[in-house]
Amino acid sequence: MIPIEYYLVLGAILFAIGAYGAMTKSNAIVVLMCIELMLNAANINFVAFGAFTTDIMGQVFVIMSISVAAAEVAVGIAILLNAYKMRKTTELDDEQLRTLRW
Amino acid sequence: MFIEYTWLVPLVPMICFLLIGLIGRKTPEKGGYFAIAGALISFVIAALISYEYLTGDTYPNPVVESIQWFVIPGSTDFVINLGYYVDGLTCLMMLFASFISTLIFIYSIGYMGDQGERKNRYYAEVSLFLTGMLGLVVSSNFLEMFIFWEVMGLCSYLLIGFWSFRHPEGDAASANAASAAKKAFLVTRLGDVCLMAGLFILLGEFHSLDYSTLFDPANIAAVDSDMLTLAMFLIFGGVIGKSAQFPLHDWLPDAMAGPTTVSSLIHAATMVKAGVYLVARGYPLFIQNAEVMLFVGVIGGVTAFIAATMALNNMNIKKVLAYSTISQLGYMILALGAGGYLVALGMGMEGAEGAALITAGSAGMVAGCFHMMNHAFFKALLFMCSGSVIHAVGTEDMREMGGLGKHMKITSLTMLIGSLSIAGFPFFSGFWSKDLVLEIAMEAGHDGTVWFTVMWILAIITAFMTAFYMFRMWFMTFMGEEGHATQHCHGESPKTMTFPLIVLAVLAFGSGFLILFGLDAMVSFTVTPDAFIVGGGEAGGFHHFEHIFTSPYTYLTIVLALVGIGIAYLMYAKKTMNPGAFNKDGESWLYKALTKRWWFPDLYNQISWKLGYGVARGVNFIDRQIVDGTVNGLSGAVVGGGDALSKVQSGHVQDYSSIVLLGISVISVLFIVIAKVMGGI
Repeated sequence: MIPIEYYLVLGAILFAIGAYGAMTKSNAIVVLMCIELMLNAANINFVAFGAFTTDIMGQVFVIMSISVAAAEVAVGIAILLNAYKMRKTTELDDEQLRTLRW
Repeated sequence: MFIEYTWLVPLVPMICFLLIGLIGRKTPEKGGYFAIAGALISFVIAALISYEYLTGDTYPNPVVESIQWFVIPGSTDFVINLGYYVDGLTCLMMLFASFISTLIFIYSIGYMGDQGERKNRYYAEVSLFLTGMLGLVVSSNFLEMFIFWEVMGLCSYLLIGFWSFRHPEGDAASANAASAAKKAFLVTRLGDVCLMAGLFILLGEFHSLDYSTLFDPANIAAVDSDMLTLAMFLIFGGVIGKSAQFPLHDWLPDAMAGPTTVSSLIHAATMVKAGVYLVARGYPLFIQNAEVMLFVGVIGGVTAFIAATMALNNMNIKKVLAYSTISQLGYMILALGAGGYLVALGMGMEGAEGAALITAGSAGMVAGCFHMMNHAFFKALLFMCSGSVIHAVGTEDMREMGGLGKHMKITSLTMLIGSLSIAGFPFFSGFWSKDLVLEIAMEAGHDGTVWFTVMWILAIITAFMTAFYMFRMWFMTFMGEEGHATQHCHGESPKTMTFPLIVLAVLAFGSGFLILFGLDAMVSFTVTPDAFIVGGGEAGGFHHFEHIFTSPYTYLTIVLALVGIGIAYLMYAKKTMNPGAFNKDGESWLYKALTKRWWFPDLYNQISWKLGYGVARGVNFIDRQIVDGTVNGLSGAVVGGGDALSKVQSGHVQDYSSIVLLGISVISVLFIVIAKVMGGI
C-alpha cells in the first residue's frame, strides 16, 4: 500500500504550484487554472485521508467540491469571456481590465 | 408689614433694568424715567422697612427670612439659603444708596441728555448697578452677597468702559476708557478671588454662610480660630480690591474715564461702599482676632495718607475727587479697624476692663458707618458738581477752568458746601464723622498698640491735605482769572442737574446732625455673651458734640483744616504764594513721584509683565509643546500609519491573495509551534 505521505506530498506540491501560479501569473485564464490546481490538491488530501481512515465522507466531499468547482469555473470563464469581449484582453495587470474596479 | 417685602428693594431696580433693556428704547429719555422710578420706589420701600424695623419690637435683633436654595451633601450638609437680613446697618445702607441713586439718576437726565441711543444702555446698566448694591445690602448670607458683589463688578466694568466706543473726545479717550474698565475689572478681581477663598474657608468651617449662623458666638467658638483668622484676612483682601485700598487702589483714579455720573454712583452710593459694608457686616467675625483688625486699620490709615498725597498736585478735577474718595475710604476702614482692635482686645480680657474696651471700640463701627453715610452725601455732591462743571466747559483740566464762580452760581456754592464738608470744616457733616474717626484711632493708639498712634498721625496729616487739595480744586475751578475753557462756558447747568445738587448740598451740610437723632444707636455694635448685635445701642446725642468740643485734638484738626484752606487760598485764589516755590516748578523728586502716582501703575505693569507674562509664557509652552504636542503626535502617528497601510490596498487581486496566503502560513506555523510547545495535539 502506498503510504499516505506520498499523497500528502503530492497534494502539497500541487498546492504550492497552484498558489505560486495564482499569485504570479498575469493571464486570468492561467490564474483560474492555478486555482483549480489548488482545489484539486485539497481534493487529493480529502480522498487520501478518507481512504486512510476508511471514512466515506472524504470521497463524498470531493464529489461535492468538484461540482462546486465546475460551477465556479463556468462563472469565472463566463466573466472572463465577457471581459475579453469588452476589453480585448485577459491580462490582469492591463489598464483595460483594471478599470473594471470601481 | 413692610419688612416682609424687603426682597422688593433689589427686585424693583432689577425689573427696571429688564424694562429699560427691553422696551426702554421706545420711551422718552430711553428709559431714564424707569431708572428714576425704580430707584425712588426702592427708596420708599427702604424707608418704610426702616421705619417699621426701627420702631418695631424685634429691634435691635435682626429680622431674617430665608428659603433654602440648595444643599451640598456631606457628613454635615452644607446648606445655602436665599433671603434677606435686616438690621440697623442694612437700613442705613439701603436708605442712602437708594436715595443718592435716585438723585444721580435725575441728574443723569440732564448730564447724559446728549448721548442719544446710548442712554438706553446707560440707564439699564445703572439700574443693574443699583440692584447689585441693594441686593448686597439686604442679603442674608455671604454667598448671596458675593453674587451681588460680582454684579456690581460687572456693572462697574461696563459703565467705566461706557465710552470705550465712540468717545466724544476721540479714539485715544475711548481706548483709555476701555483700558480703565479692564483695569478696574482685573484689579477688583484679584480681591474677589481672595474673598471667594475666604468664603470657602468659612463654608468649610461653619457648614453654612448664613449671617445668623456665622455671627452666633457659640458657633464661632466651635470652629478653628486659625482658619477663621485666615478666612478674615482673605475676605479683607476682597475689601482691599473693592474699596480701592492700598495697594489695590490704583484702579479707582483710572475709573474716572467713565461718565461723571457713574463715578458719582461708584464712589458715593455703591461699589466702593460695598467693601466698607462688608467689614462692618462681618464685624463679629473680624473682631475675633486683634491682628486682623490691626491689619485692617493699618491698611486704612496708609490708604488715607497715600491717596491724599496723590491728590495734592493732580490737575484733573475728577481725579482729585477720586483720590479723595480713596482717602476717605481709608478713614472708614481705619475707624472700623481701630474700633475692632479695641473690641478684640476687650473680648480677650475679663471683667470691667474688657467691657470698657469693648464699649470704647464699638464707637469705631459708629464712626466708620457714620463717615460712610456722610461721605456718600458729600462725595455724590462733589462729583455731580464736577460733572456740572465738565458739562459746562467741556474739559476736565482745572488749569483751563478758573473764574467759573460767576458763571455757575449754584454749582460753585454747592461745591463749596461739599468741599467744606469733606475738609472737615466745623459743623459740616464731614467734620463730625472725621473727628469720630480720628478719636477712635487715637483711642486705639492709647489703649491698644502704638501702630494706631502712627495711623492717627497719618490721619491728621491727611485731614490737612484733604482741606488743601479740596480747596485747591475749588479755587482753581471757580476763582481766579478766567481760564481758556471758561470763555466757552455755557453757563449754569439745566434744572435736572442743579436740583439734585441743592438737595445733596443740604444733606452734605446737615447729615452730620443725624447723630443727634440716634443715628449712632442704629449702627452701634454691642457684644453680649450670646450675640453680637448691630443697632439698639445707647444714643449718644449731644454727648458726642460735648466730647468733640472738649477734646483739644479737635481744635488741632480744625486749625489744620483752616491752614490747609488758607494755603490753598493764598496759592490759587490770591496767588500771593507761588506753588512752584515748593516743588521747584514741578521738578522736585516728590512732585514727580506724585504725578507718577508713587509709581503704582508702573508697579502693576511690572508685576503683570514679569509675573503675568512669565506665567503666560509657561502656560503657553505647556499648551503648545506638551498638550498640543501629544495631540499632534497622536494624530500624526495615526495619519502616517494610515498612509503607510493604505499602500497595501493596491487593487491587485494577486497582492491580496498573497497577503491572505502569507497570513494563513503564519497562522499555521504559529499553530504548529504552539502545538509543539504545549506538547502535542
